[in-house]
Amino acid sequence: MPRLLALPLSLLLIGQLVLALAFLVPDLLDANAFAALFAHPQFGGGLFLSLFTGISSTLISLLLACIIAARRPAPPAAEAGAMLAVPHLALALGVVFLIVPTGFIARLIATLVTGWTSPPQWIAAQDPYGLSLVAALVLKETPFLVWVMAHLLVRGDLREQLQGQSRVARALGHGPSSVWLRVVLPQILPRMVWPLIAVFAYGATVVDMALVTGPTQPPTLATVIWRDLNDADPAMAARGAAGTIILSAVVILLVAAAGILLHVGRPWIRRFYTRPRTPERNLIAWPGHAWSLWRLVYVMVSALLILQSFSGHWPFPRLLAHDFSLSAWQRIAANPAPLFTSLALALTAAGLSLAAAVAWFETLSARLDRLALAACAISLCLPALMVALGQYRLFLAAGITGTAAALFLAHVLPVSAYVFVMLHGPYRGFDQRWHAVSSGLGQPRSAFLARIKWPLLKAPLLAAAAVGFAVSMAQFVPAQLAAAGRYATLPMETVTLSSGGNRPFIAASALLLMLLPLATFLTASRLSRPRWSP
Amino acid sequence: MLAVHNLALSVGGRTLIRSLSLEVAPGETVTLMGPSGAGKSSLLSFIGGDLGSAFTTAGIATLNGTLLNGLAPERRQVARLFQDDLLFPHMTVAENLLFAIPKMPQPERLGRMRAALAAAGLDGFEERPPHTLSGGQRARVALMRALLSEPRAILLDEPFGRLDQELRQSIRDYTFGQIAERRIPALLVSHDRSDVPPGGRIFIISNDGNVSHA
Repeated sequence: MPRLLALPLSLLLIGQLVLALAFLVPDLLDANAFAALFAHPQFGGGLFLSLFTGISSTLISLLLACIIAARRPAPPAAEAGAMLAVPHLALALGVVFLIVPTGFIARLIATLVTGWTSPPQWIAAQDPYGLSLVAALVLKETPFLVWVMAHLLVRGDLREQLQGQSRVARALGHGPSSVWLRVVLPQILPRMVWPLIAVFAYGATVVDMALVTGPTQPPTLATVIWRDLNDADPAMAARGAAGTIILSAVVILLVAAAGILLHVGRPWIRRFYTRPRTPERNLIAWPGHAWSLWRLVYVMVSALLILQSFSGHWPFPRLLAHDFSLSAWQRIAANPAPLFTSLALALTAAGLSLAAAVAWFETLSARLDRLALAACAISLCLPALMVALGQYRLFLAAGITGTAAALFLAHVLPVSAYVFVMLHGPYRGFDQRWHAVSSGLGQPRSAFLARIKWPLLKAPLLAAAAVGFAVSMAQFVPAQLAAAGRYATLPMETVTLSSGGNRPFIAASALLLMLLPLATFLTASRLSRPRWSP
Repeated sequence: MLAVHNLALSVGGRTLIRSLSLEVAPGETVTLMGPSGAGKSSLLSFIGGDLGSAFTTAGIATLNGTLLNGLAPERRQVARLFQDDLLFPHMTVAENLLFAIPKMPQPERLGRMRAALAAAGLDGFEERPPHTLSGGQRARVALMRALLSEPRAILLDEPFGRLDQELRQSIRDYTFGQIAERRIPALLVSHDRSDVPPGGRIFIISNDGNVSHA
């Protein structure tokens, strides 16, 4: 009987993922669709742009995250966590408002330096090379990798060990950057494989960010695919499905190639470890204050979204709007359905995922975790487009597209994967001796769970719930496909608005999208403060 | 010659060491003793150059006449050994040793690495990962790694604390033998009188910051 409690996670996460991938098989066999795809004039250029944005954003984010994490004191994990809670889409819109010719940066330059009276001629957002998309991705993924590194270092006594090893290495004559590259990084990087794959797959296949700040002539392949998938013509939709499969296959092949390259390159890497120390070229000290840039950008983006959402008439070189207006917020208040739909989805998806994960841990032995972890890794590291397309095919076959159930299932898959991954370490690492003590005192299991285990695990439980909430709030592709036009969520509404020109309305929508997960995150970290500090 | 002149060391308003001057001759091992928290390890960090910014210090440390104050840790040529061997777990034994050997023709570096392993009785251990070695073997590799970096002084922070009694004696003798043979001045922090080499000088740092010579 208690084992039945593991069923929800098995069905929502593992079952749904397996079925969704299985339902992609017919698309795999549709030769006409592949022929149409390869004949598409934007296929080659789009594929190149997708790979370029994915690869460059991953490498730049990794490099910057390493530099930031190498600094002492390292940035507080809470700050990186708060940045993590900001949805990609909201950040991208904020960045667009900063850099477009009539954006805040141009206004600053005009006011302080050049005295421009008309906007400059630069193409800052949606540039043809995808640079603004790469920049927005780097701004979002670097804090993620910094956060992952911070969590890796906290686990066990890795941080202490690495600090001891670093001191020894310094005493052996190696400078700070040599120590970081040869001693610290080789021990951290292998533990970051999955997050890095997820970052790459995300960057190479992102849709919502690319629609807002990606190139247009040609657009990235993910955007081309997205237009096809939403086409009423079945042949076009099939071409989109073929594109999804090809793009995902290329991403998987590249990840495999990188793995092989690293394996084949081992002798060279190991030779690098043992190269004699050389006079230090201090690579780390130089951009030492990189983290301040992140703080600045996130604060500026938030401030700008607030200003913009209340702005009325705002002619070019002025730093502040001529007059302020509540009209954007009134429009949001007049149509609150997307907001409530998103809130309801995020709360139920995060809540149920948390309960399902806890039920799994409490009823199954740790040996079966591998199964769930594999499902998590697959659903988080496969391109979201591919998983979402499989889910859509599954919902079609079950006849539930456009229903609340489909919308919930679409959200709960990635949410439960994130929640499970985040809880796995703390929950399974919980010291078993507590239970022995508790039952030795005559307490039943229920009292042990409610009064000892869950209170002690309060912080990771709340953090997992907050991340689940934020992940749900960030879903665009699976939501749009599952909703089939019958429901609108906040991210869907924001993407729709962003193609129009009403900046205050776009800003208000993006701000809501950003504030809800942020508020959840702050509440969670407030609630998880221990009663007293040691 | 490793020398400390008029060192005063305090942290958060608490004086750890009031005034300490000592000189360690080449090949000599001077032992620092005293209760935990008295500032013995902080003194080693001061000489090694990785004392935290929370500490305030006065006085100087010199090595063969060169002022150490303000020099980056990696430029001091002062090797450190701790209670944990701190072998890099992602490198083989040979790689751990090569990490420490200064720039010179590669055949010579490899030769030194092999000679050090042979001297430590660890022939054939080149490709072994550190975690497959016994405690005594790891301690010897850590010592060899420190010596291969051609230090001009060596700081030992309870390096024998984790070893069992039998092993302790042989590693101790081996370490002091190497130090004396290479004419390196060494400072040893220990709680155990039996760690003190025969005839070695002892400084005792007390909780009130005074230093006495035993």
